[in-house]
Amino acid sequence: MVPEKLKNVFLPNRMVDRAMMLGLVAFWVAIAFLAWLAVPFETLPRPGEVWHALGSLWWEHGMGPELFTTLRLILHALLLTVIISLALSYATVIPFFRPVVEAASKLRFLGLTGLVVPFTLFTGGGYDLKVAMLTFGMTSFFVTSMAQAVIEIPREQFDHMRVLGASEGRILWEVVIRGTLDKALEVMRQNLAIGWALITMVEGISRAEGGLGAMILNQNKHFKLAEVYAILLVILVVGLVLDYAVGVLTRVLCPYVQMERVRR
Amino acid sequence: MTSGSSFGETLLEVRDVSERLGNNQILEKLTFEVKDRIRPGKVTGQLVGLLGPSGVGKTRLLRLIAGLDRPDTGVILGQKSQPMAAGTVGVVFQNYILLRHRTVMGNLVTAGVANGMKRSEAKDKASHLLERFGLADRGSFYPAQLSGGQRQRAAIAQQLVHNKTLLLMDEPFSGLDPIALQEVIRLITEVCHMQELNTIIIVTHDIRAAMLVSDTLLMLGRDRTPEGKVIPGAHIKHAYDMVELGMAWRDDLELDPRFATMEREIVERFRAL
Repeated sequence: MVPEKLKNVFLPNRMVDRAMMLGLVAFWVAIAFLAWLAVPFETLPRPGEVWHALGSLWWEHGMGPELFTTLRLILHALLLTVIISLALSYATVIPFFRPVVEAASKLRFLGLTGLVVPFTLFTGGGYDLKVAMLTFGMTSFFVTSMAQAVIEIPREQFDHMRVLGASEGRILWEVVIRGTLDKALEVMRQNLAIGWALITMVEGISRAEGGLGAMILNQNKHFKLAEVYAILLVILVVGLVLDYAVGVLTRVLCPYVQMERVRR
Repeated sequence: MTSGSSFGETLLEVRDVSERLGNNQILEKLTFEVKDRIRPGKVTGQLVGLLGPSGVGKTRLLRLIAGLDRPDTGVILGQKSQPMAAGTVGVVFQNYILLRHRTVMGNLVTAGVANGMKRSEAKDKASHLLERFGLADRGSFYPAQLSGGQRQRAAIAQQLVHNKTLLLMDEPFSGLDPIALQEVIRLITEVCHMQELNTIIIVTHDIRAAMLVSDTLLMLGRDRTPEGKVIPGAHIKHAYDMVELGMAWRDDLELDPRFATMEREIVERFRAL
């Protein structure tokens, strides 16, 4: 007799509890690991080789400081992105600024590679160039999502505050800024992932300061595949940790979001 | 008056109000007024039921009275002939809007502070209201944690933090089961009679509930051509002084045979609106 809980796992539109979901995750991770072991391609290093390369990179080639360099870069760029993007997004409530916000959003169609030269001229290269490139890359996507979140605030929310006698400044604070904080954090989470995915490309532009991106390109050059996969694994794991951290921050700052989900 | 009550000052005057939306005439020379009902020895607020079919312009009128929009022509004046401005009239919207990121207490305090009250004063008033509305143990809850009925009470309480005497309610009876409906009617009546000048205007298409709660019933509707075609532009088609008819302020109203007769009459008229 198959237990009801287990049956639900294979049926559409069913809820499963947390323990069952963790079990499912463990199952698929094990499957992925076994598939990795079974893959016949010689170009894909075995798990043992990757693990060995990781140890070597960490203890002998200074992977820790390189990781710190990359984290510093992404967090610096993220901070600038959040400040610029939120200011632009909240400015959509003022008609005068809407064309500027719209233009900033459209810049996402520009590729980063072509902007290296003008950005180098503006920033003088090095660390500042990388921060500028990452900030630019993330801001154009952040503004697009966040401005949309502001535009989608129902008119009743504004009317509700008006009938309470709130000034337009207070309405901006309560409805636009506080009211969309959870969405801002969610957009930040997505853009952190975009920025993290861009990191190897951006760090490759100027390798002098190091970082995981520069490290992976150097290993690529020497065709050290186990080392490349080890760095990719670190990039993936750190990316997941950052993503989880933003999720925790959202739960702390906006506990009502979880309650609304439970209600739905 | 035969009911032993009389009228005092005018609390709301809607005079010759017209409103267009694009090419559609929504309201046409709409006129009515609400006066203070005085009952010797009793604090008596005013409860006006504004009845009309869906799409007739009830919510447009509510927005005009609330000061959220301006009419194309005509005037809407409050107490002492003051023009209506947003923030001077309480509005409980149909979906009981609350700030989702604030607790129930936070919602009430924000309402007070937004209206110029000191935070401590707003907090005291909020605590008192939560107690009165049976929400004292829900102050730290977020709106997402409230039931529909609790949310409605919180939304009403939020509008009462600042002493507004005119409260508009948009479809407060929609989707309620009979027990919840009785509870809402009791709550609205209680809020109405808290102060002499309190005036509640209920915008609804629920005829029975409106009859049970109102002391004045206004029916908003449009004229028709002899062929039955609707002529755009709603106005007050019928008005019932429920007090004068002996159909207000009574707990046993539904037992009165005249109630059923009147309900049938209103339903018939409603069909033609």
